[in-house]
Amino acid sequence: MVDMDKKVMARKMGRLIRSIWIFNWFNSCGVTELLPVVASIYDMERFGLIVVDNPKHADVLIVGGYQTEKSIKRVIRIYNQMPEPKAVMALGSCTITGGMYWDSYNTIKRLSDYIPVTIYVPGCPPRPEAVFQAVGMIFEHVNQLKKEVKGK
Amino acid sequence: MSWEEIIKDYNPTIQRERRIWVNIPKDKVYDILQNLKNEGFEHLSSLSVTDWIDEGKFEITYHLWSYKFKVLLTVKTKIDREEAKIKSIYPIYDRSAWIHEREMHELFGIEFIGNPDLSPLFLEDWNEKPPFRKDFDWREYVRSKYYNKENEREKAYWEVWLK
Repeated sequence: MVDMDKKVMARKMGRLIRSIWIFNWFNSCGVTELLPVVASIYDMERFGLIVVDNPKHADVLIVGGYQTEKSIKRVIRIYNQMPEPKAVMALGSCTITGGMYWDSYNTIKRLSDYIPVTIYVPGCPPRPEAVFQAVGMIFEHVNQLKKEVKGK
Repeated sequence: MSWEEIIKDYNPTIQRERRIWVNIPKDKVYDILQNLKNEGFEHLSSLSVTDWIDEGKFEITYHLWSYKFKVLLTVKTKIDREEAKIKSIYPIYDRSAWIHEREMHELFGIEFIGNPDLSPLFLEDWNEKPPFRKDFDWREYVRSKYYNKENEREKAYWEVWLK
């Protein structure tokens, strides 16, 4: 989780849950199971999830799959361009431990060593249901935060 | 001169129908490829390198396709590992040769003399040996670069490695 005061966090993230705009950063197989999320069977737009073209419009950065030494620099640049509040969702086992690329000379092993990751979605690649569950968990987490702050 | 005559002296072997291999000495490659292109082998479909570390050689393989004869001609040549230099075929095949040579320069460290741009393609900030060379110990490299013995979450890896 991003290092922030809980109160600030609740205020910032509270704005995020109405409808989240997604910027996709895919350069590997993490995308294969996310395409159905966009398509008509799962249809993410009915939950207000919209894919945008510009990181400056995005609330959530989805990093799909492994990142190489070269692409991680671009991820960091994109992450820095996104306005607060922002969240990062990392798809696939590769972002957690390197996955099947655990001994590759050119692949980074854990994404949170480079950028703050809000939620990891395991799977190789994760199924669309897992992605929806992750989104739901972010919502739940934000609601929890809001409640805690109000209770004080 | 037909294309059969160009490669006749170098014992071409027929792998199967319309698939021909030929081994050519390093200093003749440029002229022969030039002649083959003039004869109709105008498509360079790929250029690859094999590292024969026991022999101390790199083998460079050019795959040429002819739309006229419908033949895939594989031209191979060997160069010394210690002195990994060869004349670039950029003047013959232009951009299709350029991008392959650039990649092979990055991954095997072969110098293609005459290629205008051999800047890194996939690797950034790479200070090690070219990674596809057989003597590059990538296991050791990965361990020293990405893993740390003190790191709690990587304990399981180290237990196996240090055994």
